[in-house]
Amino acid sequence: MAFDKKGVARRRFGRRKGCRFCADSEISIDYKDVRTLKYFVSERGKIVPRRISGNCANHQRKITEAIKRARNIALISFTSKRTIE
Amino acid sequence: MRTYESIFIIRPQIAGDEYTALLGKYKQILADQSAEILRCQEWGTKRLPYLVKKQDQGTFVLINFNAGNTVVKEFERRLRLDDAIMQFQTVLLEGGLDLSEKEEVAPNTDTDADEDDSEQDEEQD
Repeated sequence: MAFDKKGVARRRFGRRKGCRFCADSEISIDYKDVRTLKYFVSERGKIVPRRISGNCANHQRKITEAIKRARNIALISFTSKRTIE
Repeated sequence: MRTYESIFIIRPQIAGDEYTALLGKYKQILADQSAEILRCQEWGTKRLPYLVKKQDQGTFVLINFNAGNTVVKEFERRLRLDDAIMQFQTVLLEGGLDLSEKEEVAPNTDTDADEDDSEQDEEQD
């Protein structure tokens, strides 16, 4: 049992909780707004999961769609640029 | 009538008169089909995050218009046939277009692009 507790404790590190789009209705999700989208994309270019970004289901879905649109029209990259080793 | 937003990337080699002619041509295609052009933004030439048609740069143009769905079909067909167009994407704006708000957003996207350029340069080094 102690082992389980340890696992739980390790996962708790400082993450912002709550959906920032629900908190502030002023922010809109737009696929052209690269600066906002970058926040929800890892360095590798992957979409950050909801458990880490803290978004609600509705906004995460919108963010995902926006990121995919931005990738499609070459506003953000599909992956980070890496040379083949 | 629906509101659409179309972005297309033109080859960076096309500039000056050729570029304005191309832009005029596509505006005309929309106008001929009685589409109402709400906004046309030229974002200029930007560095692309990945190669598109073996190019690492491209000139972005954003056009918003009110039209029916058949207009989009024809517009995209014409874009697809044109060698000068590297990539395009048309998106339906469900809530329509709020011009007053969007105009403020536009300059920001430009500055973003500039910053992105510098970031990418660093990555490449």
